[in-house]
Amino acid sequence: MAKARDIPGLRGDMRYAEAAAETVAVRTQELFDHRAGVLDTSDIERVHAMRVATRRLRAVLEVYAPCFPGSLLRPALADVKELADALGARRDPDVELLALERFAAAVGPRERAGIERFAERTRSAQLAGNARLAAALGRADADDLRGRLEALVEHVGGQRPRPEGPD
Amino acid sequence: MRARKVKGLDPDGTLADNAQRIVRVRLDEVYAFFPAALEPDAVTELHDLRIAAKRLRYVLEVTADACFGPYAHTAARRMRDLQDLLGEIHDCDVQLPRVEALVAELRDADTRELLRRAGAASDLDPALAADLPHADDWRGLLALESYLRARRALLVERFGAFWRDVEREGLRARLEYAVGERPDAPSDLATTEPAT
Repeated sequence: MAKARDIPGLRGDMRYAEAAAETVAVRTQELFDHRAGVLDTSDIERVHAMRVATRRLRAVLEVYAPCFPGSLLRPALADVKELADALGARRDPDVELLALERFAAAVGPRERAGIERFAERTRSAQLAGNARLAAALGRADADDLRGRLEALVEHVGGQRPRPEGPD
Repeated sequence: MRARKVKGLDPDGTLADNAQRIVRVRLDEVYAFFPAALEPDAVTELHDLRIAAKRLRYVLEVTADACFGPYAHTAARRMRDLQDLLGEIHDCDVQLPRVEALVAELRDADTRELLRRAGAASDLDPALAADLPHADDWRGLLALESYLRARRALLVERFGAFWRDVEREGLRARLEYAVGERPDAPSDLATTEPAT
């Protein structure tokens, strides 16, 4: 699994809102970098990598929520969650099919018919999950999710900190 | 499970001060599930605990190195391990009812087939039960069902042992100290989040 990218210059004593802009910018970039090939069911690691990136982005949006205007954050967060759910709908059957293959190989030929019977359903769930994911990716593009996330970053990144010291 | 609201967050305050508030609330959320989550059949509690552990893990991954030092990083790893273990239990909890449902469905289909074979007979000839349509499926499905039950039981035992180790380590007190006192917090290091 891909390691999360470093957030350059992140420090405990930096302004919370400044940290929000730096962190969300990197996590947004990561999410869209993992997008290529996720609908290919023959390579299940791509969906996994994008799902993890989605979780990381969602987590930082929640951690830094007070730094963003709610009117911008809430719809973006809802769309990231929808994308995460769609990735989960594909990933869960991916993982289950892998486990069923291993189980079938381990137990032997007399058990395989029943396991295959169950796996047929999991494959149907995988196809349904892939269709849901395709739709969610299409909506993310149509609604310019990336642009809206970048707008969040610009919003807090462009704000100046309060002046320090005595008046 | 909705996350508890963290009060007093200030966009103009420092990252470390705000992260401290978030970590404390998320830590409380995790501990609120004990001891209920240690009951063997606590399916809902285990599911919600997994979500709470994930929330704590992610805030620590974002802030541990930049704000709190090595023990926060260790706590993030503990939460990741907890989340992984609970995820395995959750997979059993999700898969088992689906296997049971398929078994019931196939049993009903075979019963209907037997009734069809019986036709107008007033009783059922046992010979008609030979070679039912799903006879070849039972062995694998029942093996899978038993496997999932047994695996869940073992994983729940492992979860109990894992949590005893966490308690022995003093995770709660050590993490509260790390985020409150920040004895080992780096002053000018860029963060490096752990791999997941």
